[in-house]
Amino acid sequence: MAPQPRPDLLACHECDALYPHRHPAPGDIQRCRRCGATLARGHWLRPDGQLALTVGALLVLAIASGSEIVTLELQGIHSVATLFEAIVATWTTGEHAVAVIALATAFCFPLAVVVLRLWVLLPLAFGRPVRAFVPAMRALRWVLRWSMVEVFMLGVLIAVVRSAGVTQVVVGPGLFAYVALAVLLAAIEACDMDELWRLGEGHRA
Amino acid sequence: MSTGFVAARSRGLLHCGCCGLVLQPAAGAGAPRCPRCDTELHALTPRSVQRTTAFLLTAVALYVPANLLPVMSTNTFLGIESHTLVGGILELWHSGSWELALIVFIASIAVPLLKVAALGLLAWTAHRRSTWRQRDRAALYRLVETVGHWSMLDVFVVVLLVGMVRFGVVANVEAEAGLLAFGGVVVATMLASSAFDPRLIWPEQDDRG
Repeated sequence: MAPQPRPDLLACHECDALYPHRHPAPGDIQRCRRCGATLARGHWLRPDGQLALTVGALLVLAIASGSEIVTLELQGIHSVATLFEAIVATWTTGEHAVAVIALATAFCFPLAVVVLRLWVLLPLAFGRPVRAFVPAMRALRWVLRWSMVEVFMLGVLIAVVRSAGVTQVVVGPGLFAYVALAVLLAAIEACDMDELWRLGEGHRA
Repeated sequence: MSTGFVAARSRGLLHCGCCGLVLQPAAGAGAPRCPRCDTELHALTPRSVQRTTAFLLTAVALYVPANLLPVMSTNTFLGIESHTLVGGILELWHSGSWELALIVFIASIAVPLLKVAALGLLAWTAHRRSTWRQRDRAALYRLVETVGHWSMLDVFVVVLLVGMVRFGVVANVEAEAGLLAFGGVVVATMLASSAFDPRLIWPEQDDRG
């Protein structure tokens, strides 16, 4: 026999303390009184609002990865760098593993976060069942951990400062797109996964 | 603990580590799975302290080459120069941007060391089923989880410099082996903190160590 769900209860995911389950009001944050962990967070945005932000994030990600982050000039030679060019250049210097890590954490995992959210949110916004709901949610939980857009954004800033001493640096649209992406992803990730689990279960395919 | 809090596992309840659902397991069923997300359910993550310790030892071993080997080299017509992590920080410092030098110092030297120390402390006290300063240790665990990926900063900086500074024979930047070791330190500490089960900070009477 399968374990029986107890939706009336909530356990702290960090210290296992048991509480009665209450739905958080928008803007409300429930914290564990024993260890201080966040138990539940009521988000202002409904799934359709989250969907809008996620579509925005997808567009910004396309701009961020496709356009130049910076242009350098030294003695009349121009060097234009996009994310992919930086990764390919790292690969050609022989550090293959580093190139793969950078590609995964600055592009692949953020893309997966956005695409998986869209996969779940799109059908939900139209009241339709979500296909492959459980694998998609489990994958989403995993890639969230390894997506590092905000770190990459700060890395760009530091790389610009370090090369500004010797060359002329012109900041490109890619940098601004990465800043926008970091902000959008932070807003999207503030949404509680718990609500998605409940909504998705109601519309199981 | 007579603190007025009841742990789910002491009531015979399990909570799913993936989707958070609280469940009443059926008696006698081998390894129960969550009916909502199909994750295997455990009162406590099996071998959590052992796995955390193993990843920590990996991180410590990689920390040595990460700091001794150069992470990048600059080739100019003046010759080839190798840079270590510390060298890059000093360079930022001397170029006058001490704020950024501080950020990079915190992200690449201080954070990895403090993370290893913090997780070592958490694993050791969990192993001893200690009740010493539990709330502070819970806060420490959350801090480690939050700052974890920021150490990847220097990996991105070097990758970007390699991509940006490409002026043929005049000047170019190459990534060196130390960078891989450093990336390894960051990944190993992140794996260590995700292997640690924070429920071990709050031991129950009938937990099996």
